[in-house]
Amino acid sequence: MTGKPGMTLQEIIGALQRYWSDRGCLIHQPWDGEVGAGTMHPETFLRVLGPQPWRVAYVQPSRRPADGRYGENPNRLYKHQQLQVILKPAPADVQDLYLRSLTAIGIDPAAHDVRFEEDNWESPTLGAWGIGWQVLLDGQEITQFTYFQQAGGIDLAPISAEITYGLERIAMYLQDVDDVYKLRWSDDRLYGEVRKEEEYELSRYSFELADTDLHRRLYDSYLAEGWRVLKTPGGRSALPAYDWCLKSSHAFNVLDARGAISVSQRAGMILGIRKLACAIAAQYALPAGGEAARG
Amino acid sequence: MAELLLEVGCEEMPASWISGLTDQIRQRFIEVAGRERLDPRDVRAFGAPRRLVVVAAVVEGQSAREEQVFGPALRAARDASGKWTAAAEGFARKNGVAPEELGQAAKDPARPDELSLTFVRKTAGRPSIEVLPAVIGTVLRAIAFPRRMSWDAWIDDGKGAFPFGRPIRWMVALLDGRVVPLAIHAMVDGAKGAVVVETGTRTFGHRFLPREAAGRPVDVASFDGFKQALARHFVLVDPAEREARIRDGLRTAAGGAGADHELVSEWRDLVEFPTVLVGRVPDEFTTLPGEVLDTVLVHHQKYIPLRGAGGDGVRFAAVVDGDGANAGEIVRGMERVVVARLRDAAFFFAEDRKRPLAERVADLEGVVFHQGLGTYKDKAGRMVRLVDAMAAAGVLAKGEHETAREAAKLAKADLTTLMVREFPELQGIMGGLYLEAEGPQRGAVARAVRWHYHPLSIEETAPPKGSVKAEEANVFGAVSLADKLDTLAGYFALELTPKGSSDPFGLRRAGLGVIRVLLDFWEPRAGKQPDLKALIGEAATGYAGVLKAPPATTQQGLETFFLDRLAYVLGTRGFDQDEVAAVVHTPGVDALHDVQDVLLRLRALHAARAEARDDFEHLAVAFKRAKNILEKAPPAAIDPKLFESDAERELHAAVDRLGARDGSYEERLRALAGLRAPVDRFFDDVLVMAEDAKVRANRLGLLQQTVSLFYRIADISKLGGTI
Repeated sequence: MTGKPGMTLQEIIGALQRYWSDRGCLIHQPWDGEVGAGTMHPETFLRVLGPQPWRVAYVQPSRRPADGRYGENPNRLYKHQQLQVILKPAPADVQDLYLRSLTAIGIDPAAHDVRFEEDNWESPTLGAWGIGWQVLLDGQEITQFTYFQQAGGIDLAPISAEITYGLERIAMYLQDVDDVYKLRWSDDRLYGEVRKEEEYELSRYSFELADTDLHRRLYDSYLAEGWRVLKTPGGRSALPAYDWCLKSSHAFNVLDARGAISVSQRAGMILGIRKLACAIAAQYALPAGGEAARG
Repeated sequence: MAELLLEVGCEEMPASWISGLTDQIRQRFIEVAGRERLDPRDVRAFGAPRRLVVVAAVVEGQSAREEQVFGPALRAARDASGKWTAAAEGFARKNGVAPEELGQAAKDPARPDELSLTFVRKTAGRPSIEVLPAVIGTVLRAIAFPRRMSWDAWIDDGKGAFPFGRPIRWMVALLDGRVVPLAIHAMVDGAKGAVVVETGTRTFGHRFLPREAAGRPVDVASFDGFKQALARHFVLVDPAEREARIRDGLRTAAGGAGADHELVSEWRDLVEFPTVLVGRVPDEFTTLPGEVLDTVLVHHQKYIPLRGAGGDGVRFAAVVDGDGANAGEIVRGMERVVVARLRDAAFFFAEDRKRPLAERVADLEGVVFHQGLGTYKDKAGRMVRLVDAMAAAGVLAKGEHETAREAAKLAKADLTTLMVREFPELQGIMGGLYLEAEGPQRGAVARAVRWHYHPLSIEETAPPKGSVKAEEANVFGAVSLADKLDTLAGYFALELTPKGSSDPFGLRRAGLGVIRVLLDFWEPRAGKQPDLKALIGEAATGYAGVLKAPPATTQQGLETFFLDRLAYVLGTRGFDQDEVAAVVHTPGVDALHDVQDVLLRLRALHAARAEARDDFEHLAVAFKRAKNILEKAPPAAIDPKLFESDAERELHAAVDRLGARDGSYEERLRALAGLRAPVDRFFDDVLVMAEDAKVRANRLGLLQQTVSLFYRIADISKLGGTI
């Protein structure tokens, strides 16, 4: 690694997608709406329910309005990119598969200190949790590794393994830069050229400009529409209902970043999203629900 | 005897689990193998992140078992003509003998005359290798994890689904080198699927080392060979060896510094082949407060700070899992993470200081203390109120009061700073540092804010001992007490009290903190120190307008809680539990009024009792007897004219004499020994429950006065003793 420039961001993405494609993963696209993490993508949240095997990998731009820093912090972003892998059921050699993927992007684990340190994951809005680790590379967290135990309040069987690469972190390590905006995205473009203005404008929006009254109404309306769709007789409405559920979650995040949510409201609003997510999961997992229809 | 070697190879388990799991697997093996008559000996267990290991000597085969079984009662065994009945013949046939060969014994030991037919059933022992699979399965099932996970596993033991702490990836189970067969299956659709793990002779070493054979299985036959093979493959199975290697590494790399750091034991169970590396903190960050630097290094990166060891700057030691080749590049990676974090911290430190801390008090309105208990702004107000109550009670001087009041107001303000929001463990510390930076006039307030979350642990020497100056002890104490008492009153009013092992809000620790402030820190002014009972009342009424729970109920719960905490603290200080009970629960004085006085009385009792152990034991029994008698009938005021015997007059004189005595607690207790003879004589010569009601009540009165003579110091009847 020393002496030669590490892979560009797009080369890393290409290499990881190729690696997982070769191991039987379907390469999917990012979810086409605002989400806080790759886990919220329906190809993870819904696909881990029920018995059907599933292997997928995709990049997911993840929006966390409260982490916005106007493009000024070299380590924090309103929107960062995750590469998400789901292996269902989790194969017995899943850790080795993961470690070999590091080799595929130019990290020789034997030349570094690679460690799996306890870090369990929980998403109160999705009624989901899992057991797992953060993977540390010479002290830097580069991946979150989770065995899902529950999603939408449903105990899972089989258990899925979720591997979430923090792409900017890994690229910064490989390219040996300590400012995210100095990352080489491609051979001739820096991350800053591509994204810095977007970080500034999105940070400014979520901290200063977002209309909180509107977002409160949106939060309520999104949830209401989600429930209406879900309860429409005839079933097979979990997927559109989940769209609305994700939108309500983003509206909540915007309000949170604006400091417009008191602690007591906060718990109630999270619960509101979770109830819908759990109801969607329950319908999806029914014998005649979406999971069965997908086969 | 044969050697059993069991290794359960897992994916990485949390460091904090390892030593507990090691103890458990050892204990469970001893229990289960013992129950199965394998006579386990020399059972040792070892744990590392990816494995739990048990090695033991067991017998080659189970011992045979004899057990007596009972058949029909003798009277139902022969008919009138003396012939065996069908029941008797059936019982004999079942056991493969003729009826004549059966024995006779009483089934019920309470009815030795009612005999039944018996047979001694002999079960031959099975070879250990046949018994061990079920033993190992039972042991694995019996391990309790702080958190279990499903990993789609199944064991064919009738119970099916087999959750564990982490997925098991290999198992070694050898009895003198022969494989003890056991399989774990996949669970598919809630039923048994294909085998996923089987016991065998193969273990696995380090994931990446040695480089030429990384990840390859290693065949083993015995524990010694196993241990050596793993060492060659960069795994030290024995935690003691890992710890020794860490300490060596710290000595070599860091010139001896840091070898006793609290992280050493965590490091031991974090890696399988520890190697210590040393990195450097860039000089630009050495101006950051040491507490901030330590938080980043110790709490976030688990690195040990090394100051002055290299002569200049701050260095840090880190543990890696491996041989430390390529150390230069690894350390560079670590340093980059440290720099990124410290850069954040330096930014927070600069930003936060742009506003005086006092300005942030208003912001506390946006920070909820607990749902139902309001915001931290409300809490700060209640803390000020409690400090005022202490001043009104005369336990704070005017200057102390002003400083403590200001500190109580500001104590929580740092919760709104960027630094504490990022590093919550720096609460209090940052408030203190920011105040200090505002100027020397803030010094005393800053120190009280800095320490008010303490004392956190029970040891007498624990912080802030040595950090809080005697002349500022009461300012620190007042703020610390106000914070903890307010928290306790709030949670008790919500009935969120600690139950069993569950104490999610750390209330027991808060309680210990209160007791320790009063016992170990408070400097009494003119002999006065805070009256805990009164403060509990104040704290409970602080929520009167907010919560529905009546303050009196909250107060009652807290009093019981604090008596228990007080007894607990005193019990850890070398006093016997019965001595603690005698001073904490004496009817003559409420312990919570003056906690330091409880300690004085306890010391006196302990010393006086040590000098006259025999007398105290004897009197304790006599006083217990007296109290039992007093429960049966009411005493009256003593009328010496009603005494009928010398024994009564003698005891009365002795009690009067002792009652009038002055002196220290210890001197008065020492004189107690003088009561032994008159008390003995009284019980020997006098029938307390006399027929004449007046005489009886008078005698009871004398007993009452005798036992209560020292109630102001201790209830002697609570001491243990034998006659």
